[in-house]
Amino acid sequence: MEIDRELLKGSISLLLLNLLSRGEMYGYEILQAATVRSANAFEFKEGTLYPALHQLEKRGLVRSQWRTGDNGRERKYYSLTSKGRKAAQKYERQWQHLTGAVNAVLGSK
Amino acid sequence: MTRAERLIDEIMAAARIPSERRRQEVRRELRAHVEDFVGSCRQSGRSEEDIERLLLDRFGDPQQVAEQFACVYHGERAVLHFGWFLISTVVVSLIISAAALSMQAGMMFGLGASVLAALGSRHAITEALDIAATVATYVGLVSLGRFFGYPLAVLAVVTAGLFALFAATGLPTQFIVFGFLNGALLRGIQVAVRRRMLQFGAALACLGALGILFFHPSSSAVVVTAASWLMMGTAYHLMTHVASRMDRVLAAKL
Repeated sequence: MEIDRELLKGSISLLLLNLLSRGEMYGYEILQAATVRSANAFEFKEGTLYPALHQLEKRGLVRSQWRTGDNGRERKYYSLTSKGRKAAQKYERQWQHLTGAVNAVLGSK
Repeated sequence: MTRAERLIDEIMAAARIPSERRRQEVRRELRAHVEDFVGSCRQSGRSEEDIERLLLDRFGDPQQVAEQFACVYHGERAVLHFGWFLISTVVVSLIISAAALSMQAGMMFGLGASVLAALGSRHAITEALDIAATVATYVGLVSLGRFFGYPLAVLAVVTAGLFALFAATGLPTQFIVFGFLNGALLRGIQVAVRRRMLQFGAALACLGALGILFFHPSSSAVVVTAASWLMMGTAYHLMTHVASRMDRVLAAKL
C-alpha cells in the first residue's frame, strides 16, 4: 500500500535514526533496509532520503564519512552520534505513545 | 551525458547549497547512489530503458528535491550571504570613500585651500559615514534582494543597528537617513534607466541637485557645492559598478 507523503513526512527522522541504530549504512543500503524491513510498505524516494540525512547530520544526530565498502566502492557511510542515539530512543517512545493514542481514537465507537 | 547525469545536474543547479566543496560531495553521493541502483537493476535483468525510467521515477521532480536541499542549508546560506553583504559594504565603502575624498582633496588643492585641513575635518568624517550608509543601502538592495525573501526587512534591521551604534557613539545619525535615501535613489536609477551613459547622467544630475537643495549654499558657493556633488555622483556611480561586480562574484561563489 502506498503511504501518503504527508503521513510519512513526520516519521522519516524516526525511521532513519532507527535504521542507523542497527549499524552504519550508506544511502542505497538505507533504502533497501527500509524496503525489506517494512516488507515493501515503505519505499523511500531518493529525493526525500538524502535531504533528510543531511538535515539529521546538520542537527548533529548522525555523522558521515567516505570509505571503501565491502564491494570495493567508495560510499558515504552514515552512523548515529550519541545525541542521535538518545534522539532515536526518544522519538521511538513518542511514536509508541502517539500510535497508541491514534489507535485508541480509531478503535473507539 | 546520460539522463541520470542531467537529473543530478538539474538538482544541483537549483539546490543552492553553499560552498563548492559541499556541492561536489552531494553530487558524488548522488552519483554513487545511481551507480548502486543501476548495478542492482542490471543484476535483476532489467533493460537499460527500464532502468532509466525507474531511476527518474524514484528521484521524483528534481525541482522539489532541490528545494528540499535548499531548505536544509537555508540557515547556513543566510549567514554566509549576510557576512558577504557586510564585507562587500565595508570594502566598497572604503574604495568609494578613498575615491571621493581624493577627488575633493584634488579640488581643494586646485582652489588653493588646505588639503590636510579639509580631509581631517568633521565634514570628511561625516561624508565617509554618509558613503558607508549609501553603500550599505545600495549593496543591501542588490545582494540581499537576491538572496533573501525580505530584503527591506533585513535592511531595516541593519539600519536600526547602525542608528543604535551611531547614537551610542555620539555620531550624527542624519547621515544614515541621507545615505539610505541616496542608496535607494542610485538603485532606483539603475533599475529604471537601462543605458549606462544615461544612468551616469541621471546619477550626476540627481546628486548635483540634491547637494544644492539640501545644503542651500550661498550664491557664490553654488558652483563649488554643485561641483563637489558632481564628484560624489561620479564616485557613487563608480560604487554601483564595483558593488554589482562584487555581487556577481558572490552569486557565482554561493
